[in-house]
Amino acid sequence: MSDLAIDLTGVSKNYTRRFKKPTPALRGVDMRVHRGEVFGLLGPNGAGKSTLVKILMTVIRPTQCKGSILGQRVGHKPTLAKVGYLPEHHSFPGYLTGAQVIDFFGAMTGVPRRERRQRAGELLELVGMSEWSKRKLRSYSKGMRQRVGIAQALINDPDLVLLDEPTDGVDPVGRRDIRKVIERIKDEGRTVFINSHLLTELEAVSDRVAILVKGVVAQQGTIDELTQGQLRYELVVGASDSAGELLQRALPEGSRQLALPEDESQLANRIGFKGLLPTGESIEVARNTLTIGSDDPKLIQPIIDRVRAEGGVITSVRNVRPSLEDLFMQAVTDPTTGETLKPGAEEGGGR
Amino acid sequence: MSTMLRQTTAMLVDAYRELAAGKLFWVTMLLSLLCVGAFAMVGINETGLTVLWYTIPIDVFNTGVISEPLFYKMIFLNLGIGIWLTWVATVLALVSTSGIFPSLLTGGQIETMLSKPISRWRLFLTKFGTGLVFVALQVTVFCVASVLVIGFRGGSWMPEIFISIPIVLAFFSFLFSIMTVFGMITRSTIASLLLTILVWFVLFLVNITDNILVQQHEGLKIQVTKLEERLELADENARVMYIATQRREGNDLPDDYPATDDEKYTVNVFLPSLRDRLENRKDMVESLAPWRRGIYFAKTVLPKTSETIGLLGRYAMSKEDLDTLMEMGDGRGKTTVNEETGEVNVAPQELSKASAEVFNNRSVAWVLGTSFGFEAVMLLIAGTMFARRDF
Repeated sequence: MSDLAIDLTGVSKNYTRRFKKPTPALRGVDMRVHRGEVFGLLGPNGAGKSTLVKILMTVIRPTQCKGSILGQRVGHKPTLAKVGYLPEHHSFPGYLTGAQVIDFFGAMTGVPRRERRQRAGELLELVGMSEWSKRKLRSYSKGMRQRVGIAQALINDPDLVLLDEPTDGVDPVGRRDIRKVIERIKDEGRTVFINSHLLTELEAVSDRVAILVKGVVAQQGTIDELTQGQLRYELVVGASDSAGELLQRALPEGSRQLALPEDESQLANRIGFKGLLPTGESIEVARNTLTIGSDDPKLIQPIIDRVRAEGGVITSVRNVRPSLEDLFMQAVTDPTTGETLKPGAEEGGGR
Repeated sequence: MSTMLRQTTAMLVDAYRELAAGKLFWVTMLLSLLCVGAFAMVGINETGLTVLWYTIPIDVFNTGVISEPLFYKMIFLNLGIGIWLTWVATVLALVSTSGIFPSLLTGGQIETMLSKPISRWRLFLTKFGTGLVFVALQVTVFCVASVLVIGFRGGSWMPEIFISIPIVLAFFSFLFSIMTVFGMITRSTIASLLLTILVWFVLFLVNITDNILVQQHEGLKIQVTKLEERLELADENARVMYIATQRREGNDLPDDYPATDDEKYTVNVFLPSLRDRLENRKDMVESLAPWRRGIYFAKTVLPKTSETIGLLGRYAMSKEDLDTLMEMGDGRGKTTVNEETGEVNVAPQELSKASAEVFNNRSVAWVLGTSFGFEAVMLLIAGTMFARRDF
């Protein structure tokens, strides 16, 4: 048995419309999800996340796809009996009760009746919907439907669970509950694939992530792997009009400024100084914050001394590891203009 | 239980739950039962029609003319099936089921359904099958109630009435297949319903045209037959009269003298117009032939909704029953020919009988086979769209 729950190579999808140019949604996605891990897929709107999930679930036919899901080719219907899926914009029939929804989709996955009944009770308990199990879905809030949706995705005791925006419309308490459910699913040895744009949620539960931008995977790995080499020191001084100048004066001799595009006044406003230390590490001054692209504490010491000598008040010195949000923003920000990329997956927009 | 059976059972149960959750299902069921209730109130005795405890004396509707079981069977077929189930209940069924495919495609259910281990084609066909549940339930309830009414009120138990269930189901499935294609194309409940009713109306018009052509054709054929009979008789009479006239004038002609037409015309001035009328009617029969072929071809490729329902008459009515119904009424059953003008007055009963024979001679294989062929094409189109589409 392969160690990979999902193994994709060169997945592409062009949406074609009669008399119109094909619109690329995915432009060669390579992705590996290991068994037993929680894998987070993130990306801006229109990056192709849902398209990728739908291809895995045979809802959309790929233009090109090499790869496997649970060891079988993508599109192999019987394999889906071991996969649980919560679609993003699901709409379960309002005339069914929560228990009936779970039972119906369990039957559709081929789960025997006795097993369905037993598991439905357990799952409703798991998602905190036991008391609502006999009420019609039309009386549920969006968060409640989402919980039932997660329960139906687990009715077939799946090896792989794909959750597309599982916390969509769920209040903070519900999000915490769903996070706990995901952790429990993981503890049971299942693979969880989460597609979400709620980065803090993903960061809290994911072992590995992939960032999809403009139809291609911009980055993929554990958060530690992705942030390797991106640890930095941040020095903040008391806010004042001259704080930026103070920080620039405190830079070591031999620091050099990188040229900013002249016509990018917005970027020039945001970043007062962008350059390199004599030792080659990146350095940036934005208002009252100085950032050094290194986790070596020795580099920050002379700067602290100079700031203090100039009479500046240091409010904080932190060794910062980039968050998932930072990684995400890096992936979706044009490095030269500082602007976020436009939605969609048009050619040339990816990184 | 296999996965396939589990999935099919789940979808059928879900279809029932969906129907039961809709008011229209229960409204239709209630109306069906009211229909049967009204049916139970009407009866027949030796003096006429009975409604509850009252008797309305009618010459043509009494047990002397028509037996009680046949009376009920006739009401069941003409009103219960012919009007209620094929028109009113069918419209309600179309309204109830029109949302099945559009809501599946647009309502956010499709992703979950397609992510299950069931092929798109099987999902599509099972969903189509579940759409027939509405009609199956309605017709079954109606037939059971009708059999009970006929049994208790008419004193005759008629299990043959249950043939209505597959026949009405087949009839509805033709329309439902059309609605499925429209639902797949437009993804709109209202649009698919209206377009289906429009197609049904076109089918109705084609059927009406066919009926008119058959009636015209059969009417002309009766006229031709009657005119030929009359002409043969008139011809012989004229020959005999001519011989008699000639003998009176001293020309001793033999009994087997074959008088010429001109000689016959001298004793019967109406003979030429009778011949002309016969030729004219024969020409008219000929001229109708291409139209009949055209309509027959059109009907061959289209679903035969009316003829499918018409099959009930073949199975539920015996030949004796049909003869009794044909003979009901007075002397209108005789076709007459005007001696002078040659005008033929075709009796409605005779025309109905001849037309009914034409329709009865169309084989069940043709009526159902070609209609199911049409349905298969519709399902192939809709199913291919469903199987190939991205959702």
